[in-house]
Amino acid sequence: MTKLMNLQDYQIAFARHIRDPDNITPPEYVSERGMAVYREVVFNNIESSVSACFPILKKILGDDLWLRLVRDFFKTQACKTPIFREIPEEFLAYINGLADLPSYGQDLAHYEWVELHLAYMDVAIDWSKIDTDANLLEGILAFVPAMRLLSYNYPVHQISPAVIPQMQLESPVQLLVYRDVQDVIKFVELNPMTTSLLKDLLEGEFTPRKVLMDIASAMKVDSPDLILGFGLELLKDLKAQGAILGIQIN
Amino acid sequence: MQQSLKNGGAGLGLKRELISQIQESFGEQEVAGIDFLEIAPENWINAGGKAAKQLAWMSEHYALVCHGLSLSLGGPDPLNFHFLHQVQKFLDCHQISLYTEHLSYCAAGGYMYDLLPIPFTEEAVYHVAERIKQTQDVLGRRIAVENASYYVAAPIAEMDELSFIKAVLEEADCDWHLDVNNVYVNSVNFGFDPQAFLQKAADENLGKRIVYGHTAGHYQEAPDLLIDTHGSMVIEPVWALLAQAYHLFGVFPTLLERDTNIPALLDLIPEVLRIKALQTSQVVSVS
Repeated sequence: MTKLMNLQDYQIAFARHIRDPDNITPPEYVSERGMAVYREVVFNNIESSVSACFPILKKILGDDLWLRLVRDFFKTQACKTPIFREIPEEFLAYINGLADLPSYGQDLAHYEWVELHLAYMDVAIDWSKIDTDANLLEGILAFVPAMRLLSYNYPVHQISPAVIPQMQLESPVQLLVYRDVQDVIKFVELNPMTTSLLKDLLEGEFTPRKVLMDIASAMKVDSPDLILGFGLELLKDLKAQGAILGIQIN
Repeated sequence: MQQSLKNGGAGLGLKRELISQIQESFGEQEVAGIDFLEIAPENWINAGGKAAKQLAWMSEHYALVCHGLSLSLGGPDPLNFHFLHQVQKFLDCHQISLYTEHLSYCAAGGYMYDLLPIPFTEEAVYHVAERIKQTQDVLGRRIAVENASYYVAAPIAEMDELSFIKAVLEEADCDWHLDVNNVYVNSVNFGFDPQAFLQKAADENLGKRIVYGHTAGHYQEAPDLLIDTHGSMVIEPVWALLAQAYHLFGVFPTLLERDTNIPALLDLIPEVLRIKALQTSQVVSVS
Protein backbone atom coordinates (compact mmCIF):
# COMPACT_ATOMS: atom_id res chain seq x y z
CA MET A 1 0.00 0.00 0.00
CA THR A 2 1.32 3.40 -0.96
CA LYS A 3 1.72 6.08 1.65
CA LEU A 4 -1.59 7.74 2.53
CA MET A 5 -2.14 11.28 1.37
CA ASN A 6 -2.27 14.16 3.79
CA LEU A 7 -5.57 15.96 4.36
CA GLN A 8 -5.14 18.78 1.90
CA ASP A 9 -3.74 16.64 -0.92
CA TYR A 10 -6.60 14.20 -0.48
CA GLN A 11 -9.25 16.93 -0.58
CA ILE A 12 -7.73 18.58 -3.63
CA ALA A 13 -7.48 15.25 -5.46
CA PHE A 14 -11.08 14.49 -4.51
CA ALA A 15 -12.29 17.84 -5.84
CA ARG A 16 -10.20 17.67 -9.01
CA HIS A 17 -11.70 14.32 -9.90
CA ILE A 18 -15.23 15.71 -9.46
CA ARG A 19 -14.37 18.64 -11.70
CA ASP A 20 -12.77 16.52 -14.42
CA PRO A 21 -13.69 12.84 -14.03
CA ASP A 22 -12.69 11.92 -17.62
CA ASN A 23 -9.07 12.91 -17.11
CA ILE A 24 -8.35 12.81 -13.41
CA THR A 25 -8.63 9.61 -11.39
CA PRO A 26 -10.19 9.71 -7.91
CA PRO A 27 -8.01 9.30 -4.82
CA GLU A 28 -7.02 5.69 -4.22
CA TYR A 29 -9.31 3.34 -2.31
CA VAL A 30 -12.47 5.45 -2.43
CA SER A 31 -15.82 3.85 -3.22
CA GLU A 32 -16.71 4.16 -6.89
CA ARG A 33 -20.42 4.23 -6.10
CA GLY A 34 -19.98 7.09 -3.64
CA MET A 35 -17.79 9.07 -6.05
CA ALA A 36 -20.50 8.66 -8.71
CA VAL A 37 -22.97 10.42 -6.41
CA TYR A 38 -20.67 13.42 -6.05
CA ARG A 39 -19.83 13.53 -9.77
CA GLU A 40 -23.51 13.70 -10.63
CA VAL A 41 -24.88 15.89 -7.83
CA VAL A 42 -22.18 18.55 -7.92
CA PHE A 43 -22.19 18.96 -11.69
CA ASN A 44 -26.00 19.01 -11.93
CA ASN A 45 -26.13 21.68 -9.28
CA ILE A 46 -23.69 23.92 -11.17
CA GLU A 47 -25.36 23.21 -14.50
CA SER A 48 -28.81 24.17 -13.23
CA SER A 49 -27.47 27.42 -11.71
CA VAL A 50 -25.93 28.39 -15.04
CA SER A 51 -28.83 27.18 -17.20
CA ALA A 52 -31.36 29.18 -15.19
CA CYS A 53 -29.66 32.39 -16.27
CA PHE A 54 -28.97 31.58 -19.93
CA PRO A 55 -32.03 29.73 -21.29
CA ILE A 56 -31.81 31.14 -24.84
CA LEU A 57 -28.08 30.54 -25.20
CA LYS A 58 -28.53 26.99 -23.94
CA LYS A 59 -31.35 26.31 -26.38
CA ILE A 60 -29.41 27.69 -29.35
CA LEU A 61 -26.19 25.86 -28.55
CA GLY A 62 -27.95 22.54 -28.00
CA ASP A 63 -27.39 20.11 -25.13
CA ASP A 64 -24.09 18.63 -26.32
CA LEU A 65 -22.18 21.86 -26.73
CA TRP A 66 -23.87 23.39 -23.70
CA LEU A 67 -22.90 20.53 -21.38
CA ARG A 68 -19.39 20.55 -22.79
CA LEU A 69 -19.11 24.29 -22.04
CA VAL A 70 -20.45 23.97 -18.50
CA ARG A 71 -18.13 21.04 -17.84
CA ASP A 72 -15.16 23.03 -19.10
CA PHE A 73 -16.29 26.01 -17.01
CA PHE A 74 -16.42 23.79 -13.93
CA LYS A 75 -12.99 22.34 -14.75
CA THR A 76 -11.16 25.56 -15.46
CA GLN A 77 -12.84 28.48 -13.69
CA ALA A 78 -11.73 28.88 -10.07
CA CYS A 79 -14.97 30.51 -8.92
CA LYS A 80 -14.39 33.22 -6.35
CA THR A 81 -17.91 34.06 -5.27
CA PRO A 82 -19.60 32.24 -2.38
CA ILE A 83 -22.94 33.73 -3.51
CA PHE A 84 -24.92 31.27 -5.63
CA ARG A 85 -26.72 33.82 -7.78
CA GLU A 86 -23.31 35.14 -8.90
CA ILE A 87 -22.34 31.82 -10.53
CA PRO A 88 -23.65 33.09 -13.92
CA GLU A 89 -21.27 36.05 -13.68
CA GLU A 90 -18.40 33.59 -13.27
CA PHE A 91 -19.70 31.80 -16.37
CA LEU A 92 -19.71 35.10 -18.29
CA ALA A 93 -16.08 35.60 -17.32
CA TYR A 94 -15.32 32.06 -18.50
CA ILE A 95 -16.87 32.48 -21.97
CA ASN A 96 -15.11 35.79 -22.55
CA GLY A 97 -13.01 35.20 -25.67
CA LEU A 98 -13.99 31.53 -25.95
CA ALA A 99 -13.48 30.15 -29.48
CA ASP A 100 -16.20 27.45 -29.21
CA LEU A 101 -18.95 30.02 -29.05
CA PRO A 102 -20.77 31.51 -32.05
CA SER A 103 -19.84 35.16 -32.71
CA TYR A 104 -23.02 36.51 -31.09
CA GLY A 105 -22.70 34.19 -28.06
CA GLN A 106 -21.07 36.63 -25.68
CA ASP A 107 -23.45 39.46 -26.48
CA LEU A 108 -26.41 37.16 -26.02
CA ALA A 109 -25.07 35.76 -22.75
CA HIS A 110 -24.46 39.25 -21.40
CA TYR A 111 -27.96 40.32 -22.39
CA GLU A 112 -29.45 37.31 -20.60
CA TRP A 113 -27.29 37.88 -17.52
CA VAL A 114 -28.02 41.60 -17.16
CA GLU A 115 -31.66 40.87 -16.29
CA LEU A 116 -30.59 38.79 -13.27
CA HIS A 117 -27.91 41.33 -12.42
CA LEU A 118 -30.32 44.26 -12.30
CA ALA A 119 -33.06 42.28 -10.53
CA TYR A 120 -30.73 41.73 -7.56
CA MET A 121 -28.59 44.87 -7.74
CA ASP A 122 -28.35 46.10 -4.17
CA VAL A 123 -29.51 49.67 -4.64
CA ALA A 124 -32.65 51.38 -3.39
CA ILE A 125 -34.44 54.58 -4.32
CA ASP A 126 -34.16 57.43 -1.82
CA TRP A 127 -37.37 59.34 -2.51
CA SER A 128 -36.40 62.09 -0.05
CA LYS A 129 -33.75 63.19 -2.54
CA ILE A 130 -36.04 63.27 -5.59
CA ASP A 131 -38.56 65.85 -6.78
CA THR A 132 -40.98 63.85 -8.90
CA ASP A 133 -43.06 66.86 -10.07
CA ALA A 134 -40.37 69.28 -11.17
CA ASN A 135 -39.76 70.37 -14.75
CA LEU A 136 -37.38 67.73 -16.07
CA LEU A 137 -35.35 70.26 -18.06
CA GLU A 138 -34.30 72.27 -15.03
CA GLY A 139 -32.41 69.90 -12.74
CA ILE A 140 -30.03 66.99 -12.59
CA LEU A 141 -32.09 63.95 -13.53
CA ALA A 142 -32.81 61.18 -11.02
CA PHE A 143 -32.76 57.87 -12.88
CA VAL A 144 -33.79 54.58 -11.31
CA PRO A 145 -30.61 53.37 -9.62
CA ALA A 146 -30.64 49.83 -11.08
CA MET A 147 -30.00 50.75 -14.69
CA ARG A 148 -27.52 50.02 -17.48
CA LEU A 149 -27.13 51.63 -20.89
CA LEU A 150 -25.86 48.83 -23.11
CA SER A 151 -24.57 48.48 -26.62
CA TYR A 152 -24.49 45.15 -28.48
CA ASN A 153 -23.04 44.24 -31.87
CA TYR A 154 -25.84 41.76 -32.47
CA PRO A 155 -29.63 42.15 -32.12
CA VAL A 156 -29.59 40.24 -28.84
CA HIS A 157 -33.18 41.17 -28.00
CA GLN A 158 -34.44 39.33 -31.10
CA ILE A 159 -32.27 36.21 -31.01
CA SER A 160 -34.03 32.86 -30.63
CA PRO A 161 -33.46 29.39 -32.09
CA ALA A 162 -35.53 30.58 -35.08
CA VAL A 163 -33.73 33.92 -35.41
CA ILE A 164 -29.95 33.46 -35.52
CA PRO A 165 -27.98 36.52 -36.60
CA GLN A 166 -25.67 35.84 -39.55
CA MET A 167 -23.45 38.87 -39.11
CA GLN A 168 -22.76 41.88 -36.92
CA LEU A 169 -25.09 44.87 -37.14
CA GLU A 170 -23.76 47.86 -39.08
CA SER A 171 -24.37 49.99 -36.05
CA PRO A 172 -24.75 48.42 -32.61
CA VAL A 173 -28.14 48.09 -30.97
CA GLN A 174 -28.55 50.35 -27.93
CA LEU A 175 -30.61 49.15 -25.01
CA LEU A 176 -31.61 50.88 -21.82
CA VAL A 177 -32.21 48.16 -19.22
CA TYR A 178 -33.52 49.00 -15.78
CA ARG A 179 -35.48 47.81 -12.75
CA ASP A 180 -38.61 49.93 -12.30
CA VAL A 181 -40.22 50.85 -8.97
CA GLN A 182 -42.31 47.67 -9.10
CA ASP A 183 -39.03 45.71 -9.42
CA VAL A 184 -39.85 44.68 -12.98
CA ILE A 185 -36.91 44.59 -15.42
CA LYS A 186 -37.60 46.65 -18.54
CA PHE A 187 -35.72 46.80 -21.83
CA VAL A 188 -36.05 49.87 -24.07
CA GLU A 189 -34.41 50.07 -27.48
CA LEU A 190 -32.94 53.49 -28.17
CA ASN A 191 -31.99 55.34 -31.35
CA PRO A 192 -28.43 56.70 -31.61
CA MET A 193 -29.46 60.28 -30.85
CA THR A 194 -31.34 59.33 -27.68
CA THR A 195 -28.44 57.14 -26.62
CA SER A 196 -26.00 59.98 -26.95
CA LEU A 197 -28.29 62.35 -25.05
CA LEU A 198 -28.78 59.82 -22.24
CA LYS A 199 -25.06 59.20 -21.99
CA ASP A 200 -24.52 62.89 -21.36
CA LEU A 201 -27.40 63.08 -18.89
CA LEU A 202 -26.27 59.95 -17.00
CA GLU A 203 -22.99 61.73 -16.24
CA GLY A 204 -25.16 63.73 -13.82
CA GLU A 205 -23.23 66.95 -14.31
CA PHE A 206 -25.57 69.15 -16.31
CA THR A 207 -29.28 69.84 -16.56
CA PRO A 208 -31.13 68.58 -19.65
CA ARG A 209 -31.64 72.22 -20.67
CA LYS A 210 -27.90 72.84 -20.77
CA VAL A 211 -27.17 69.56 -22.60
CA LEU A 212 -29.93 70.21 -25.16
CA MET A 213 -28.81 73.84 -25.69
CA ASP A 214 -25.30 72.56 -26.38
CA ILE A 215 -26.69 70.11 -28.93
CA ALA A 216 -28.71 72.93 -30.55
CA SER A 217 -25.68 75.16 -30.85
CA ALA A 218 -23.54 72.30 -32.22
CA MET A 219 -26.25 71.72 -34.81
CA LYS A 220 -26.32 75.48 -35.50
CA VAL A 221 -30.13 75.64 -35.30
CA ASP A 222 -31.56 79.15 -35.14
CA SER A 223 -34.17 78.43 -32.51
CA PRO A 224 -33.32 75.84 -29.85
CA ASP A 225 -36.99 75.53 -28.82
CA LEU A 226 -37.56 72.65 -31.20
CA ILE A 227 -34.67 70.71 -29.69
CA LEU A 228 -35.75 71.55 -26.13
CA GLY A 229 -39.30 70.47 -26.93
CA PHE A 230 -38.13 67.24 -28.49
CA GLY A 231 -35.86 66.55 -25.53
CA LEU A 232 -38.56 67.24 -22.96
CA GLU A 233 -41.00 64.88 -24.68
CA LEU A 234 -38.36 62.19 -24.69
CA LEU A 235 -37.62 62.63 -20.99
CA LYS A 236 -41.32 62.62 -20.14
CA ASP A 237 -41.68 59.42 -22.08
CA LEU A 238 -38.81 57.80 -20.15
CA LYS A 239 -40.41 59.02 -16.93
CA ALA A 240 -43.72 57.43 -17.96
CA GLN A 241 -41.82 54.21 -18.60
CA GLY A 242 -40.24 54.38 -15.16
CA ALA A 243 -36.60 54.92 -16.14
CA ILE A 244 -36.53 58.53 -14.91
CA LEU A 245 -38.02 59.33 -11.51
CA GLY A 246 -37.71 63.15 -11.43
CA ILE A 247 -34.92 65.54 -10.63
CA GLN A 248 -32.45 65.35 -7.79
CA ILE A 249 -32.87 67.50 -4.70
CA ASN A 250 -29.64 68.57 -3.06
CA MET B 1 -38.23 39.81 14.58
CA GLN B 2 -36.02 38.52 17.32
CA GLN B 3 -37.57 35.80 19.37
CA SER B 4 -36.28 33.28 21.80
CA LEU B 5 -36.35 29.72 20.55
CA LYS B 6 -35.04 28.32 23.81
CA ASN B 7 -38.05 26.07 24.33
CA GLY B 8 -37.80 24.36 21.00
CA GLY B 9 -40.01 25.43 18.17
CA ALA B 10 -40.64 24.19 14.66
CA GLY B 11 -39.50 25.91 11.52
CA LEU B 12 -39.53 25.80 7.79
CA GLY B 13 -36.85 26.61 5.22
CA LEU B 14 -37.66 29.75 3.25
CA LYS B 15 -37.65 28.66 -0.37
CA ARG B 16 -38.50 31.08 -3.18
CA GLU B 17 -41.42 28.86 -4.17
CA LEU B 18 -42.98 29.42 -0.74
CA ILE B 19 -42.49 33.17 -0.28
CA SER B 20 -45.80 34.45 -1.59
CA GLN B 21 -47.72 31.66 0.15
CA ILE B 22 -46.04 32.50 3.44
CA GLN B 23 -46.91 36.18 3.04
CA GLU B 24 -50.50 35.55 2.02
CA SER B 25 -51.24 33.04 4.76
CA PHE B 26 -49.62 34.99 7.59
CA GLY B 27 -51.87 35.14 10.66
CA GLU B 28 -54.06 32.25 9.48
CA GLN B 29 -54.66 29.34 11.82
CA GLU B 30 -53.27 26.78 9.34
CA VAL B 31 -49.76 28.23 9.48
CA ALA B 32 -49.71 29.07 13.20
CA GLY B 33 -47.39 26.10 13.75
CA ILE B 34 -44.46 27.81 12.01
CA ASP B 35 -42.35 29.32 14.79
CA PHE B 36 -39.41 30.41 12.65
CA LEU B 37 -38.00 30.43 9.14
CA GLU B 38 -34.52 29.40 8.09
CA ILE B 39 -32.60 31.16 5.33
CA ALA B 40 -29.25 30.64 3.66
CA PRO B 41 -27.33 33.93 3.98
CA GLU B 42 -25.74 33.16 0.59
CA ASN B 43 -29.12 33.68 -1.06
CA TRP B 44 -29.83 37.06 0.51
CA ILE B 45 -26.55 38.88 1.10
CA ASN B 46 -26.29 41.94 -1.17
CA ALA B 47 -29.68 41.19 -2.71
CA GLY B 48 -31.63 44.32 -3.55
CA GLY B 49 -34.94 44.90 -5.31
CA LYS B 50 -37.78 42.48 -4.76
CA ALA B 51 -35.61 40.07 -2.73
CA ALA B 52 -34.70 42.82 -0.25
CA LYS B 53 -38.38 43.68 0.24
CA GLN B 54 -39.30 40.03 0.74
CA LEU B 55 -36.55 39.56 3.29
CA ALA B 56 -37.59 42.70 5.17
CA TRP B 57 -41.13 41.33 5.36
CA MET B 58 -39.94 37.94 6.59
CA SER B 59 -37.69 39.46 9.19
CA GLU B 60 -40.55 41.62 10.46
CA HIS B 61 -43.05 38.77 10.70
CA TYR B 62 -40.98 35.73 11.65
CA ALA B 63 -37.97 34.79 13.73
CA LEU B 64 -35.13 33.92 11.34
CA VAL B 65 -32.31 31.43 11.62
CA CYS B 66 -29.33 31.44 9.26
CA HIS B 67 -27.97 28.19 7.92
CA GLY B 68 -24.94 28.74 5.70
CA LEU B 69 -23.73 26.79 2.70
CA SER B 70 -20.54 28.43 1.46
CA LEU B 71 -18.25 28.91 4.42
CA SER B 72 -16.30 25.73 3.63
CA LEU B 73 -15.21 25.19 7.23
CA GLY B 74 -13.32 22.01 6.38
CA GLY B 75 -11.83 22.99 3.06
CA PRO B 76 -8.33 23.46 1.68
CA ASP B 77 -8.98 26.97 0.26
CA PRO B 78 -8.32 29.83 2.71
CA LEU B 79 -11.26 30.88 4.89
CA ASN B 80 -13.09 33.70 3.08
CA PHE B 81 -12.91 36.56 5.57
CA HIS B 82 -14.52 39.03 3.20
CA PHE B 83 -17.56 36.77 3.05
CA LEU B 84 -17.48 36.22 6.80
CA HIS B 85 -17.69 39.96 7.36
CA GLN B 86 -20.64 40.10 4.98
CA VAL B 87 -22.32 37.38 7.04
CA GLN B 88 -21.65 39.32 10.22
CA LYS B 89 -23.21 42.46 8.78
CA PHE B 90 -26.16 40.45 7.53
CA LEU B 91 -26.80 38.79 10.91
CA ASP B 92 -26.60 42.13 12.71
CA CYS B 93 -28.76 43.94 10.18
CA HIS B 94 -31.58 41.41 10.45
CA GLN B 95 -31.07 40.68 14.15
CA ILE B 96 -30.48 36.99 13.58
CA SER B 97 -28.89 35.32 16.57
CA LEU B 98 -28.34 31.77 15.35
CA TYR B 99 -25.96 30.97 12.50
CA THR B 100 -25.08 27.39 11.69
CA GLU B 101 -22.84 25.84 9.04
CA HIS B 102 -21.82 22.39 7.85
CA LEU B 103 -19.06 20.04 8.89
CA SER B 104 -17.97 19.81 5.26
CA TYR B 105 -16.26 21.88 2.59
CA CYS B 106 -17.35 23.44 -0.68
CA ALA B 107 -14.25 25.22 -1.97
CA ALA B 108 -11.14 23.46 -3.27
CA GLY B 109 -9.36 25.42 -5.99
CA GLY B 110 -12.44 27.70 -6.18
CA TYR B 111 -16.01 27.21 -5.04
CA MET B 112 -17.79 23.97 -5.99
CA TYR B 113 -21.22 25.02 -4.59
CA ASP B 114 -21.89 21.68 -2.95
CA LEU B 115 -20.99 19.94 0.29
CA LEU B 116 -17.98 17.65 0.14
CA PRO B 117 -16.96 15.28 2.94
CA ILE B 118 -14.18 16.06 5.40
CA PRO B 119 -11.95 13.04 6.06
CA PHE B 120 -12.18 12.12 9.74
CA THR B 121 -8.54 12.64 10.65
CA GLU B 122 -6.81 14.33 13.56
CA GLU B 123 -5.32 16.88 11.19
CA ALA B 124 -8.84 17.68 9.99
CA VAL B 125 -10.10 18.11 13.55
CA TYR B 126 -7.55 20.86 14.20
CA HIS B 127 -8.02 22.42 10.76
CA VAL B 128 -11.82 22.66 11.08
CA ALA B 129 -11.74 23.67 14.74
CA GLU B 130 -9.30 26.47 13.99
CA ARG B 131 -11.56 27.82 11.25
CA ILE B 132 -14.64 27.57 13.48
CA LYS B 133 -12.76 29.57 16.14
CA GLN B 134 -11.82 32.20 13.57
CA THR B 135 -15.44 32.35 12.45
CA GLN B 136 -16.69 32.76 16.02
CA ASP B 137 -14.11 35.50 16.58
CA VAL B 138 -15.21 37.49 13.53
CA LEU B 139 -18.92 37.02 14.22
CA GLY B 140 -18.53 37.68 17.95
CA ARG B 141 -20.80 34.74 18.78
CA ARG B 142 -20.89 30.98 19.01
CA ILE B 143 -21.89 29.11 15.93
CA ALA B 144 -23.28 25.60 15.55
CA VAL B 145 -21.98 23.08 13.02
CA GLU B 146 -24.12 20.42 11.41
CA ASN B 147 -23.21 16.75 11.06
CA ALA B 148 -23.28 16.33 7.27
CA SER B 149 -24.44 13.52 5.06
CA TYR B 150 -21.70 11.98 2.92
CA TYR B 151 -21.21 9.23 0.37
CA VAL B 152 -17.51 8.47 0.37
CA ALA B 153 -15.60 7.24 3.41
CA ALA B 154 -12.09 8.65 3.23
CA PRO B 155 -9.44 5.93 3.16
CA ILE B 156 -7.24 8.28 5.18
CA ALA B 157 -9.81 8.44 8.03
CA GLU B 158 -8.45 7.75 11.51
CA MET B 159 -11.69 7.79 13.52
CA ASP B 160 -15.44 7.30 13.18
CA GLU B 161 -17.86 10.14 12.50
CA LEU B 162 -19.04 10.66 16.05
CA SER B 163 -15.50 10.77 17.42
CA PHE B 164 -14.72 13.38 14.77
CA ILE B 165 -17.78 15.48 15.61
CA LYS B 166 -17.01 15.31 19.33
CA ALA B 167 -13.37 16.25 18.81
CA VAL B 168 -14.27 19.24 16.62
CA LEU B 169 -17.02 20.51 18.95
CA GLU B 170 -14.72 20.31 21.95
CA GLU B 171 -11.61 21.65 20.27
CA ALA B 172 -13.48 24.61 18.76
CA ASP B 173 -15.83 24.97 21.73
CA CYS B 174 -18.82 25.46 19.49
CA ASP B 175 -22.39 24.19 19.37
CA TRP B 176 -23.93 21.28 17.52
CA HIS B 177 -26.61 21.49 14.87
CA LEU B 178 -27.95 17.93 14.91
CA ASP B 179 -29.43 16.70 11.64
CA VAL B 180 -31.21 13.44 12.40
CA ASN B 181 -31.86 12.69 8.73
CA ASN B 182 -28.13 12.92 8.06
CA VAL B 183 -27.49 10.49 10.91
CA TYR B 184 -29.99 8.13 9.32
CA VAL B 185 -28.68 8.54 5.75
CA ASN B 186 -25.10 7.90 6.88
CA SER B 187 -26.16 4.94 9.03
CA VAL B 188 -27.65 3.23 5.98
CA ASN B 189 -24.84 4.18 3.62
CA PHE B 190 -22.09 3.13 6.02
CA GLY B 191 -23.86 0.43 7.99
CA PHE B 192 -24.08 1.62 11.58
CA ASP B 193 -26.91 1.81 14.11
CA PRO B 194 -28.31 5.38 14.18
CA GLN B 195 -29.91 4.95 17.59
CA ALA B 196 -26.63 3.76 19.05
CA PHE B 197 -25.01 6.83 17.44
CA LEU B 198 -27.39 9.16 19.32
CA GLN B 199 -27.02 7.18 22.55
CA LYS B 200 -23.24 7.42 22.27
CA ALA B 201 -23.52 11.19 21.68
CA ALA B 202 -25.52 11.34 24.92
CA ASP B 203 -22.99 9.18 26.76
CA GLU B 204 -20.23 11.49 25.54
CA ASN B 205 -22.16 14.42 27.00
CA LEU B 206 -22.57 16.15 23.63
CA GLY B 207 -26.24 16.93 24.24
CA LYS B 208 -25.39 20.16 26.06
CA ARG B 209 -23.99 21.51 22.81
CA ILE B 210 -27.10 20.85 20.68
CA VAL B 211 -28.86 24.15 19.95
CA TYR B 212 -30.65 23.39 16.71
CA GLY B 213 -31.89 20.51 14.60
CA HIS B 214 -32.90 19.48 11.11
CA THR B 215 -35.12 16.76 9.86
CA ALA B 216 -35.79 15.94 6.22
CA GLY B 217 -36.71 13.37 3.63
CA HIS B 218 -34.23 11.67 1.33
CA TYR B 219 -34.14 9.57 -1.82
CA GLN B 220 -33.50 5.86 -1.77
CA GLU B 221 -31.31 5.03 -4.74
CA ALA B 222 -30.68 1.49 -3.47
CA PRO B 223 -31.50 -0.26 -0.19
CA ASP B 224 -27.99 0.58 0.96
CA LEU B 225 -27.61 3.97 -0.75
CA LEU B 226 -29.65 6.97 0.36
CA ILE B 227 -29.22 10.41 -1.21
CA ASP B 228 -29.86 13.42 1.02
CA THR B 229 -32.14 15.28 -1.43
CA HIS B 230 -34.59 16.94 0.99
CA GLY B 231 -37.11 16.18 -1.71
CA SER B 232 -39.75 14.04 0.00
CA MET B 233 -41.54 13.50 3.30
CA VAL B 234 -39.65 12.54 6.45
CA ILE B 235 -39.78 8.76 6.92
CA GLU B 236 -40.81 7.01 10.14
CA PRO B 237 -37.34 5.84 11.22
CA VAL B 238 -36.15 9.46 11.03
CA TRP B 239 -39.11 10.67 13.10
CA ALA B 240 -38.17 7.98 15.63
CA LEU B 241 -34.61 9.36 15.74
CA LEU B 242 -35.92 12.87 16.35
CA ALA B 243 -38.10 11.59 19.20
CA GLN B 244 -35.09 9.76 20.61
CA ALA B 245 -32.96 12.90 20.33
CA TYR B 246 -35.55 14.97 22.24
CA HIS B 247 -35.71 12.23 24.85
CA LEU B 248 -31.92 12.10 25.25
CA PHE B 249 -31.05 15.77 24.90
CA GLY B 250 -34.26 17.71 25.63
CA VAL B 251 -36.07 19.67 22.92
CA PHE B 252 -34.32 22.09 20.57
CA PRO B 253 -35.65 24.26 17.72
CA THR B 254 -36.01 22.01 14.72
CA LEU B 255 -36.47 22.70 11.05
CA LEU B 256 -38.28 20.73 8.40
CA GLU B 257 -35.94 20.88 5.39
CA ARG B 258 -37.50 20.73 1.98
CA ASP B 259 -35.27 21.89 -0.86
CA THR B 260 -36.44 20.04 -3.96
CA ASN B 261 -39.79 18.84 -5.25
CA ILE B 262 -41.41 21.54 -3.11
CA PRO B 263 -45.16 21.12 -2.55
CA ALA B 264 -47.69 23.76 -1.54
CA LEU B 265 -47.06 25.38 1.84
CA LEU B 266 -50.10 23.77 3.45
CA ASP B 267 -48.86 20.32 2.45
CA LEU B 268 -45.71 20.91 4.51
CA ILE B 269 -47.56 21.98 7.63
CA PRO B 270 -48.43 18.47 8.91
CA GLU B 271 -44.71 17.70 9.19
CA VAL B 272 -44.04 21.01 10.94
CA LEU B 273 -46.84 20.18 13.37
CA ARG B 274 -45.40 16.73 13.94
CA ILE B 275 -42.12 18.33 15.07
CA LYS B 276 -44.11 20.42 17.53
CA ALA B 277 -46.08 17.43 18.73
CA LEU B 278 -42.88 15.49 19.44
CA GLN B 279 -41.51 18.47 21.34
CA THR B 280 -44.70 18.87 23.37
CA SER B 281 -44.92 15.21 24.28
CA GLN B 282 -41.28 15.24 25.34
CA VAL B 283 -41.79 18.30 27.54
CA VAL B 284 -44.92 16.72 29.06
CA SER B 285 -43.19 13.40 29.72
CA VAL B 286 -40.37 14.99 31.71
CA SER B 287 -42.51 17.40 33.71
